[in-house]
Amino acid sequence: MGRRVAITGVSSNWGAELARRLERDPEVEYIAGIDTGAPPPELVRTDFIEADIRSATLSRLLPATGVDTVVHCGILWYPEPGKPAKALHEINVIGTLQLLAACERTETLRAVVVRGSAAIYGCEGAVPYFYSEDLARERPLRTRFQRDISELEQYFDNFAARHPELRCCMLRYQPEVGPGLDSPLVRYLSLPAVPVQLGFDPRLQFLHADDATGAIAAAVANPVRGPVNVAPSGSISLSRALRLLGRPAVPVPTPLFGALMERLNDRLGAGGLIGDWVRLLRYGRGVDNRRLLEEVGFVPRFDAAGAIGDLAFETGGRRVGIPMHPGALAGRLARLGGLAR
Amino acid sequence: MSAAREEALTPEAIADFLREVRGGVEDGLDPLAAARDALGSLPGRLRSAIELIVRRLEGDYHEDEWGFDESFAEAVFPVFEFLYDSYWRVQVEGVRHVPAHGRGLIVSNHAGSLFPFDATMLTLAIMKEHPLPRWPRFLVLDWAFVLPFLSAFMRRVGGVPASPHNATRLLGQDELVMVFPEGVKGTGKPFAERYRLQRFGRGGFVEIALRTGAPIVPVAVVGAEEIYPKIGDSPALARAVGAPFVPVTPTFPWLGPLGLIPLPSRWRIEFCEPIEVAGLGPGAADDRRIVLDLTEQVRETIQEKVLENLVERGSVFL
Repeated sequence: MGRRVAITGVSSNWGAELARRLERDPEVEYIAGIDTGAPPPELVRTDFIEADIRSATLSRLLPATGVDTVVHCGILWYPEPGKPAKALHEINVIGTLQLLAACERTETLRAVVVRGSAAIYGCEGAVPYFYSEDLARERPLRTRFQRDISELEQYFDNFAARHPELRCCMLRYQPEVGPGLDSPLVRYLSLPAVPVQLGFDPRLQFLHADDATGAIAAAVANPVRGPVNVAPSGSISLSRALRLLGRPAVPVPTPLFGALMERLNDRLGAGGLIGDWVRLLRYGRGVDNRRLLEEVGFVPRFDAAGAIGDLAFETGGRRVGIPMHPGALAGRLARLGGLAR
Repeated sequence: MSAAREEALTPEAIADFLREVRGGVEDGLDPLAAARDALGSLPGRLRSAIELIVRRLEGDYHEDEWGFDESFAEAVFPVFEFLYDSYWRVQVEGVRHVPAHGRGLIVSNHAGSLFPFDATMLTLAIMKEHPLPRWPRFLVLDWAFVLPFLSAFMRRVGGVPASPHNATRLLGQDELVMVFPEGVKGTGKPFAERYRLQRFGRGGFVEIALRTGAPIVPVAVVGAEEIYPKIGDSPALARAVGAPFVPVTPTFPWLGPLGLIPLPSRWRIEFCEPIEVAGLGPGAADDRRIVLDLTEQVRETIQEKVLENLVERGSVFL
C-alpha cells in the first residue's frame, strides 16, 4: 500500500511544489491538498480540500482522508494573496494549533512534518556560527515572528511528547532563493541598487528553492524525530552575493536602514516581518546542517554560494529595472552602440 | 636589464591597454571582461593586480564557511607586516612547536587595551616564520562582533566570535585556533599590573582541547602591554557605548584619532612545547580536577615564559 499524504498550504508556492513532486512519486498513493484558495491547475492527482487551517472544521475533514502523513506547509514568512500581513500570526500559531488538534483525531496518522523556520535562532552579532538543533532559544526572542515560531514549536514539542507513536519532524528552514521564486528576499536581491548596512557584512546561507522542496520531500520519505536544520553547506557574505549577482551595494548607516526598508516594503512585500529582515541583513545567521545530511539523508545540490550563482545565471538575461551596475550598464550601452551602427 | 624594462609601465603600454579595452567593449563585452582580455599588453605586476581587482568585483573569490577570505587577508598582510618587522621588531622563538598540520589550540596571554594586536602578531609570526605556514583562526570577544566595520574585517581575516561551539567545530575541521583565556580581564588591566596574568576563565579552552584531542600550544607574548598603556578608564563612556571598558592612555582620548597610534615597543613571542591531551580521552573534559589542573599548568607555563622573555628583551622601546 502506498503513502497517503496531506499537505496544508497547497496553493502557496511551497505546498504546490511539494505536491508536484509527490505526484510524480509512485510510492505516494493519495495526496490531499488543504488550503483556502485553489492550488495551481497542473496538480491533477491532488485532492483539493478547501478549508482554513484556523477553523475547527479541519478536525472533521482530516480524519476522513485516512492519511498517514501530514505535511504542514502553511507557515508563512511573508503575506500572500488572500493571506494579509495582519493574519500571519494567527495563521502561523492558531493554524498550527488547530492542525495538531485535527492530527490527534486522525487514527491512521504515522508522521507529521512541519516546514518551520530557522528564525527561531534569531540573528545576533556574536554567536555560534553554526547553530545545532539543540541551541534554539539560547538567546532572547526579539521579534514577533521569532516568538511565533518558538510558540508553535512548543506546541509541536508537546504534541510529539503526547504521541510517541507518531514521528514528528520540525524542519527549520534558512531563507530560500531561486530563479522562479517571488519572495521578499529575492525581490531585495534584485533591486536595481541594493541598500546594505554600512560596516556590516552578514554571513548568510541561501537555500536554493529546488533544495528546499527536495529537503521536505526527503523528510516525508524519512521523517526523523525532532528538529532538523534545513540549510545549504557553507555560507556566503552579502557583499559577495551582490557581486555575483552584479548588483551594486549602497551602504546606508544602520539607523537609517530600517526606515529605508520600511519605505521599500511596498516593493519587497515582507509585511510585518521587515524587522526580521533588517536584523538578518545586519548580522546574518548560520546553522549546522549535519542532521539533514546524515539522518534525513538529503544532500542539497547547491551550497550557499552556488544558490546565488544559479540565481545570477538564471536571472542574468531578464533583469527588472535599469541595470545600475557600472559593468552591466556600460556593457549594455556598448551593445546599443553596436546596434545603431 | 630587460626584466626591469618589462616591468616598467610605459605610456605606450597604457595606450595599448586602453585601445584593447575599447575594442573589447565595441565587440559587446562589458568593460570588466574587456579589461581582463586586454591585460596581456600590460606589465606583469600591474596585470596581476588588475586581475585580482576584477575578480573581486565580480565576486569570483573564495570564502570559507566561517567567512574567512584568504585573498583579503593576503591583501592586508603587508600593512601588518610593516608593524611586525619595522615598528614592533617582533622576535619569535619556538615557532616549530606549532603543529604543521592537523588541529591545534594556541593559548596566549592577552594585552593591549585599545586594540589587542597580539592575535594579529601571532598570525604573522606563524605565517612568516613557520616552515609550513597556515592561517590560524582566532576567537574574538563577543562585543567586537556587533560593531560595524570591525566585525566584518575580523571575520575576513579569520576571527570568529568566542563561543565554545565555534572553537569545537573549527578544531574538528583540523584548523589552528588561537584563544586568549584572560579575555577582557587581560586587555583591561591597568598598566601597573602589566605582565601579571589574570585568571584563565573557568578552563573552557582545556575542555575543548580535551573533547577534540587537540594539542595545547602555550604562547608567551611580550610587548603588547606597552602599545597602549592603560592608566585609567572611563566607566561612563563604556556604559554609553556598551563596551566592556574604555581605556584612558597617555594619548587616548586626549589626542583624538592620533591617540589610536600604538607605541613602538619591542616584542618577543615564544611558542612553548605543546601539551598533548589526546591520551586523556574526551571523557576527561567532564573531570573538573583534570581541567583545572591543566588550566593552571598552561597559565604557569605562560607566566614563566613571559617573565623570562621580559628579561631577555631588555629595553622596552630601543
